[in-house]
Amino acid sequence: MVRIDFNRLRFLIIDDNAHMRRILRTLLHGFGTREVYEAEDGAAGLEGFTHYSPDIVITDWAMPIFDGLELTQMIRQPGANTNPYVPIIMLTGHSEKKRVISARDAGVTEFLAKPISAKGLYQRVLNVVANPRPFIRTKSYFGPDRRRNANPNYAGPERRKGGKADVIKQQPLLDKAKTTA
Amino acid sequence: MSEADSTMSDKKASLAAVSTFADHEVILPPNKLKKAVRKVHDTDVEFDPVAKAEAALAELSEDFSAWMGEECDRLDAARHAMRAGGINQGTRDTLFLAAHDIKGQASTFGFPLVAPVADSLCRLIEHTPDMSRLPLALIDQHVDAVRAIVTRNTRGDSDANAARLAQKLRTVTDEFLAYENRDRPDHLEAILSPAIAPG
Repeated sequence: MVRIDFNRLRFLIIDDNAHMRRILRTLLHGFGTREVYEAEDGAAGLEGFTHYSPDIVITDWAMPIFDGLELTQMIRQPGANTNPYVPIIMLTGHSEKKRVISARDAGVTEFLAKPISAKGLYQRVLNVVANPRPFIRTKSYFGPDRRRNANPNYAGPERRKGGKADVIKQQPLLDKAKTTA
Repeated sequence: MSEADSTMSDKKASLAAVSTFADHEVILPPNKLKKAVRKVHDTDVEFDPVAKAEAALAELSEDFSAWMGEECDRLDAARHAMRAGGINQGTRDTLFLAAHDIKGQASTFGFPLVAPVADSLCRLIEHTPDMSRLPLALIDQHVDAVRAIVTRNTRGDSDANAARLAQKLRTVTDEFLAYENRDRPDHLEAILSPAIAPG
């Protein structure tokens, strides 16, 4: 059995609603987390992301001006920040199929529909920590692999093309910038 | 391990492994969160983080009635602002965000029958294609219903009147949306399909 040491994780909560931030903070402290940072909109969230380098981001979707989806797209821009791979858990009242797909396509790692529960949040954190997914980069997408499972009954065409290539160790962009500066 | 070996090993750990294919790359980022994974025996139940978090939330719940009241006031103010200032992007968004927050929080605060009313109001605001046609009377009915359920302190999900009220508002809203979106069959199908979000 796997257990998470929450006291070794740093969280950033981004939600414009103070009540929801308090609830999230309470749950995370209950799990054993010590480091929880908060931001009340997407812009402050992006600043907090750069400043605090959180291990996991939990963001609301619906926020004024700069929402959680836009924030995710900003974080997932390769080269734009130190950690485009950071797990992003989107906690939202939006539950329609179209919304879930939009969040997935923006690069969200896990989707958690409100109302929030301790169990639901714990499972999402456990998933991103214990079962990290590879990232996929295409012309139009950069984010966690959207194929969670291999479906043996899938009968459609294979949309990903190309044979297996060599595995290349790639220098992180930040290190590259440091060495070329 | 020497310092040089250790530095080399740290460097290796920070590299992403990239497999390149014809039209995509598969990247295995360095697993920085591995530090937090601990293997324990199935019998090791000395600490249940979910139970601990639930207990912490239960302690906080003393404040939930007051918080629900504050969210209702916010929704009410947004409704009045729309009536006073007219329907525009600003008043529409403010009303939507207030309703959306209630939709997501009402069950946590102990008012699960408020959530479907707020959900219905969100759908009305979000899926009316021409916002100038938003029916203020139907908006009022939603806001008043939220207020009534909270004021009567209707907790839990067993109050038949509150459930009937929520259902009726949803039915009227869906009929209105079906008419307003009659020329957008794809959109209509999408908004009338069931939710799939995992909770």
